[in-house]
Amino acid sequence: MTINIETVSTDRVVKQGFLSRYGTTLAMPLGILMLLVVGAFLSDRFLTIGNLTNVLINMSIVGIIVVGMTFVFVSRGMADLSVPATVAVGGILVLMLDDVIGTWPAALVGVLIAAIAGVVNGLLIGYAGLNPVITTLASGTIVLGIAQAFVGGVIVYGQDPGAKEFLTGRLFGVVPVIVLIFLIVALLGHLALSRSVFGRWTYAVGSNPHATEASAVPVRLVKAGAFVMTATLAGFSGVLLGISLQAARPAIGAGYEFDAITAVVVGGVSLLGGSGSIPRAIGGLLFVQLLTNILVLQGVPSEPQGMVKGALIAGAVALDVYLRRRGGRE
Amino acid sequence: MNAVRRAFDSDVFLGIVRYRVAIILVATVVISASLVPGILEFRALSLSLDRIGTTALVAVGLTLVLITGKLDLSGGAILALSGIAAIGLQEQFGQVPAALIGLAVGVAAGVVNGILVVVLQINSLVATLASMLFFRALCHFLTDSRPFSGLDPLFGLAVSRPIGGTFTLRTILFVALLVLVHLWLTRAVAGRNLFAVGSNAASAEASGIRSNGYVFGTFVFAGFTAGAAGVIQSLSVNTGSPVFGESTSLLAIAAVVIGGTRLEGGRGSALGTLGGLLVLAILTTAMEFSNIPAYTQSIVTGVILLLLILLDRFVSGKKGRDLSLTALLRSVRANRRHPENERTLAP
Amino acid sequence: MRKTPVIGAVAAAAALTLAGCAGGSTGGDAAESLNICYVTAAESHAYVTPANKAFDEAAAAAGATVNRLSQEFDVQKGTDQLTTCVSQGADGIVLWPLDPQAYIPGMIAAKDAGIPLIIINSPMDAAAEEYYDSFTGPDVYEEGELSGEALNEVLGGTGKVVIIAGQAGNGTTIGRTDGFTDKLKELGSSIEVLQVVNADFDQQKALEASRDLITRFGDDIDGVYANDDTMALGFIDAWLESGRSADSLPPIVGINGQVQAFDLIRAGQYYATIVQSPAEDGKLAAETIIKLIKGESVDKRLPIPLTVVTSENVESVDPAF
Repeated sequence: MTINIETVSTDRVVKQGFLSRYGTTLAMPLGILMLLVVGAFLSDRFLTIGNLTNVLINMSIVGIIVVGMTFVFVSRGMADLSVPATVAVGGILVLMLDDVIGTWPAALVGVLIAAIAGVVNGLLIGYAGLNPVITTLASGTIVLGIAQAFVGGVIVYGQDPGAKEFLTGRLFGVVPVIVLIFLIVALLGHLALSRSVFGRWTYAVGSNPHATEASAVPVRLVKAGAFVMTATLAGFSGVLLGISLQAARPAIGAGYEFDAITAVVVGGVSLLGGSGSIPRAIGGLLFVQLLTNILVLQGVPSEPQGMVKGALIAGAVALDVYLRRRGGRE
Repeated sequence: MNAVRRAFDSDVFLGIVRYRVAIILVATVVISASLVPGILEFRALSLSLDRIGTTALVAVGLTLVLITGKLDLSGGAILALSGIAAIGLQEQFGQVPAALIGLAVGVAAGVVNGILVVVLQINSLVATLASMLFFRALCHFLTDSRPFSGLDPLFGLAVSRPIGGTFTLRTILFVALLVLVHLWLTRAVAGRNLFAVGSNAASAEASGIRSNGYVFGTFVFAGFTAGAAGVIQSLSVNTGSPVFGESTSLLAIAAVVIGGTRLEGGRGSALGTLGGLLVLAILTTAMEFSNIPAYTQSIVTGVILLLLILLDRFVSGKKGRDLSLTALLRSVRANRRHPENERTLAP
Repeated sequence: MRKTPVIGAVAAAAALTLAGCAGGSTGGDAAESLNICYVTAAESHAYVTPANKAFDEAAAAAGATVNRLSQEFDVQKGTDQLTTCVSQGADGIVLWPLDPQAYIPGMIAAKDAGIPLIIINSPMDAAAEEYYDSFTGPDVYEEGELSGEALNEVLGGTGKVVIIAGQAGNGTTIGRTDGFTDKLKELGSSIEVLQVVNADFDQQKALEASRDLITRFGDDIDGVYANDDTMALGFIDAWLESGRSADSLPPIVGINGQVQAFDLIRAGQYYATIVQSPAEDGKLAAETIIKLIKGESVDKRLPIPLTVVTSENVESVDPAF
């Protein structure tokens, strides 16, 4: 009986094309550049400092959430759908307590309670091994319900216009405070993910949870940690949102979870975990925001803009899948 | 500590977990009946079922999608789009043809989802998120963000009116569909193949099952059921609106998961989905009857969902134990006679 | 696995048996207390919340119980809740319509069941008129007209304005917006409407929509008409957020007569608002439905009073809420 053995190429050096090696890294900056050119061409308001500053302001709140969501994606935590609830918790609590204990202590309380919700998520997903999508869906529903019950289902108004002025104002008259806060959070997040031990663990857990389990990495802690982080950051952005609006209704955070997921996905961070980075996710966010801005300037009403966003997500992921195939990475 | 662990390990406890859907359903009915007078009147029950009818139709399609291990978030948007077609085209094509076109729109949307997930190989969570955004925006675009009315408010009345004093057309439709799907899942070869695809698509493929075809098919079916839900919903209120169905997808997912179908795929039951839907239906009606605010209802729904997936985790960790009802009864009787031996039954 | 359907069937049978046992009690309370089913627009809204409160107080004063269901601005939910009211056997139904005609099937069911039904605050289509007994609330078309007059006056008949409208398809939105544009046409005004955006009577959504407006038109905006004060506040937030000063705000006309609007009129950042009392809205509706339940007849149309407030009379009028 003859045995067929397939011969495998013994070339030790495989030449990868430029596209497959750098495709995924260059795609985003090129895309943003392209948008800037197209935008400037379509409207003379686009490339003004005022307009671009506004784009940055608009993306700051979601941007903070995106930092957390990136950790969730990279650790293969799928997605955190409880974001609207934790944002609401932050916004409602900071405004409820601002005249009782002062705005900044109230902010701390808001973030803390949101963090606790994150810990619950983390325990259920990281330690009990439940499915993240359903778990965050359920916990979000519960937390939001509790937040609403807490305030009796009404709108909470803030009592501190001074804090609002500070937050919505500009440093040295140029840099918006909220953008600064966002950039600081993004920087810290990036350092945590790319330089710290926890960050390395996150990548390990995301790319190969079984192998990592065999090593000394605390897999469950890492998985849980991503959700604690997202909830805390969402609570923080809720606090900022509440202060800047001086009014918080329970639906204050509606839609932010999908905005964050959109940004992360467009940025090329894979849902399957193990790859991606904060700059990529922020790049995706910037891309989406610039695109939205161009559409607004063209007079496209806000709801139909979703058609472009939907097509964008599909296109971005399909492109990513294609480039990965070409690059030999599955 | 050991006693606690043994309690969790006992056959009775695991039996409760195994039949959790039925138990939760009975518990919900009993609690609602004692707290809310009038909930068990036939009229109220019929109303509960009709209330959940729209979500139920979406949930049927979703059950199949979840069994294959995929997710579909776009049900609500497809619902709205189909409704808009069914109402908006009434003038041009007449009421019944417009409704059929609405169904076709649902199918087409399902095909789009299928292409995204199977052909372009995009993860189903992301793909249906994208299609959800796209279809929803399309709804707004087509209607200029305004809801609009159809030709005749009385035409669609038949859909939500109790037939002969019993159940509404919508209710009969979704129950019939669920029973049909259940029979297909348990009796037909194709149905059982679906479970194989969900547990391990690669090995299913290796045994000759065309996994991709099945996955594609479930998305088309989910699109069809969402389309049906949308057409019926819009006809019953004679309105096409871009914001219909916004909470339907998530509610449907909750019902399917409460019913025991796992998000990871490979396990599920259409009857379980029916149970989950009944629980949600009775809860909603009971809460509304007793003036309980919507946010409390959210808390209860979320807690039930969480409890059930936690319990589900328990069952999956105890493979190899015979947990059928007869085995349980035998074990309880045996324990009564010999309380010192906690016998576990071999499979 | 074949046992599970059997278990399910047993469970269902058990449930229905219980139904038979408990079925003796007919739904609803004892005959003395009137039971009103009130399908309101929302639980947390600057205008709706005080209206709900006034409704509850007026109903309690008359000895009636209120079962309040909130649509949360979701028409689909509202139509379902209307059906719940009918099947619960309420003595009277008060509906806050968020759509001019989607509720008609439910209203027909109420009529068949002989339950008196009134609509509060927002008008419905002419086609719905035969299905409700009365409509209590402001004349939203007139409010639109008054706003058109006011904005036309302050801008001297010319300029570019943006309209921040409420929930799309809502009768109040349609009335207030159409009244505005029709009046401008009637006055022969050369005011141009740059864009109309829908912000669902919500401050946060108005902020987001206004950001887009300001991005697109910026300082070209000469005037703003908001369907209610809450949304106007969102516009102001967006304006200030874009780095512009409060003094450069274009004249704003809003509706509802909120406290914040009054303050802004005094500060010169707001031009006019129309006082419409939510408390009166709620109270009148409660009183009307109770009259109907008791068998008295009421007018088909019961308006609540409106007052235009500008810097001239801002001190002499009380804010609505």
